Amino acid sequence: MLQLLFFNITNGLIIGAFYALMALGLSLILNLSGVINFAHGGFLVIGGYLAYTLTPFLGFWGALVVAPPLTAIIGFVVERLLIRRLYGRDPLYSLLLTFGLAFIIEDGTRQIWGAQGLPVSIPAALSSPLSNDLFFITGYRMFMVAIVAVAIAVLFVLFRYTRIGVRIRAGTLDLETVAALGVNVGALRSLNFAVGIFLAGLAGVLAGGQLGLEPTMGDGLLMPSFIAIIVGGVGSLTGTLIGGLLIGVASGLTAVFFPSASEAIIYVMMAIVLLVRPRGLLGEEGMLT
Amino acid sequence: MIKKHAGFGSLSRRNLVKAGVAVGLSQLAAPFVISARGDTPIKIGFDNPLTGTYAAPGKNELIGCQLAVDQLNAKNGILGRKVELLIEDSTSGDAGTAVQKARKLIERDNVDFLVGNVNSALAQAMAQVSNEKGVLHIVPGGHTDPITGMDCKWNVFRVCNTTRMEANAVSSLLFKTYGKRWHFITPDYAFGHTLFQGCEADLKKLGGTVTGNELTPLGITDFSAYLIKARAANPDVLVVLVQGNDMVNCLKQISQFGIEKQIHVAGTQQELESVEAMPPEARVGVWMFEWYWKQAAGTPGLDQFIAEIRKRADGKVPTARTWFGYVTIHAYAMACENAKSIEAKAVAKALADMELPPEIKLQPNKVYFRAGDHQLMLSAFIGELRKKGEGDPENLFKVNSIVAGESIAPSIADTGCKMTMPS
Repeated sequence: MLQLLFFNITNGLIIGAFYALMALGLSLILNLSGVINFAHGGFLVIGGYLAYTLTPFLGFWGALVVAPPLTAIIGFVVERLLIRRLYGRDPLYSLLLTFGLAFIIEDGTRQIWGAQGLPVSIPAALSSPLSNDLFFITGYRMFMVAIVAVAIAVLFVLFRYTRIGVRIRAGTLDLETVAALGVNVGALRSLNFAVGIFLAGLAGVLAGGQLGLEPTMGDGLLMPSFIAIIVGGVGSLTGTLIGGLLIGVASGLTAVFFPSASEAIIYVMMAIVLLVRPRGLLGEEGMLT
Repeated sequence: MIKKHAGFGSLSRRNLVKAGVAVGLSQLAAPFVISARGDTPIKIGFDNPLTGTYAAPGKNELIGCQLAVDQLNAKNGILGRKVELLIEDSTSGDAGTAVQKARKLIERDNVDFLVGNVNSALAQAMAQVSNEKGVLHIVPGGHTDPITGMDCKWNVFRVCNTTRMEANAVSSLLFKTYGKRWHFITPDYAFGHTLFQGCEADLKKLGGTVTGNELTPLGITDFSAYLIKARAANPDVLVVLVQGNDMVNCLKQISQFGIEKQIHVAGTQQELESVEAMPPEARVGVWMFEWYWKQAAGTPGLDQFIAEIRKRADGKVPTARTWFGYVTIHAYAMACENAKSIEAKAVAKALADMELPPEIKLQPNKVYFRAGDHQLMLSAFIGELRKKGEGDPENLFKVNSIVAGESIAPSIADTGCKMTMPS
């Protein structure tokens, strides 16, 4: 029993790390632009399918490097053409827009790549488990966790030590003042949006290797990411990371005792957090009003 | 604002008289309309998933239906009338939408015949509507037992297997070859529940034990927690009952964790759509297909069917889903011809105990709709998955035996169906 618990906590952390990757992108966009990006799962799908198309030419590793920036470029264009027009309006507008975009992307994917799922093979070097006992820790899952760790480290450096990062953080806290100080807020938001979509694209490539590709694959990953943000607290990237890990572990542990509730548990967690501490674990007060 | 009311306001006495005359004339003209009805097409309403999780099977069923409709129209249609297919997207899981579309097809489009649904729950909801309206309805691909069991209806027929038939098809084989301790991974909705109950009943009869049943939410992406638990229970067989993308995800993770090297992996229903979405290493285990394209040479009409579908499906071979759609339309057409009518009760009577001819059944064994529960007795194709296609990239299943539907179906008394035809 103890072993089973240990296994599921470790396993939950691995899953949670992946949720966190998705959630960080969402969180970035929400914090600076106030846009609840329902199309995030769609961009994840685009990243995965782009990687699939590129793999025959570039191999798995090449696709892993090229597909996320391509996704980010698509995200950048979408922000410039559509989303930026809705800044300053009620968040409901951008929510509806991205909700519609999610459907358009899903059906577009189906038109281009077909409704049937596509198989993705991962490099042989990553495909086997570490040991017979720790069979659930495969090379690929370790690799995913490593990528998430690198992404978080890069984000940390970006926000801590670069001018753009500091501006994004400042903008999250008080956009008007940042604008008054002469920062081009429009460009800042576009760039920030692209970074968020880059993370979605990266998550898509990684998810493709783990799960295979399918036009609706983003749906199942989007809700846990939103919940990670709410549990961790809107406005705090560290909170989002912790939120992602927490719901991963919670759903892993529930699977041991009450399997059919392993999905419901994360919603229960969200409800408790919203009741007891509405701003989330590390959230700023009044971020979403 | 005033203009808006003009339409109503301008209904003068003169116009009213004109309208009255027109209505009167149309009454006179009515006999002509009726006599011209031979030329109006027979309308078939297709209400099946075209988006969401079940888009792939839903679309394949549509391709099968379209082929059958085109074949009918190229000859004599049905009873000399053209056949028209009206297509609606039921979504993959929203019963409200499926029902609304079914009502639209029946009430507004006046369809003569309703087809759907891949999702068992949606199929059940649609059956309520078709029954209330007295419209003939065939469920091509929703498997849960009650549709032709407890909830059977005079106007509802089903082409695909029941979950109980699927369980019976593989249970004794798995027990004999793999062992008696089974652990299940089951989708947590109508289809999964009845399928698990069927397997559990068979296993108990054979003298085996269930080491656990992991109920997983539909559409879950990560099965690792369930797999950890399943392996800890150390069963002889891991029985995977989830379907579609869930099946792909689950088998993919099983192979990544190397579980298939320690525990036998098997299941009941498997589909070509899912197998093709898996990487080679995940294609493991013993399964049943409800129809498979690679059969003994000389099966009448098979080569032509495959060639026709390849033309319509970007070169892909027909799957069980394509066949379901194809059989649904042809069975309806045949029954109408036999009944010499498209009236729902007459067609339902003609469908009962109707045997499918070779060029439609496309398989060995007798295939017919059982009168007692309106369930098609179709063969089960039992065998193993291939990692790589043999002879053709899509030949991913090695058929070991083709079992007649009659031999795996529970008796009508056991299905719980009490069929009553309206007077």
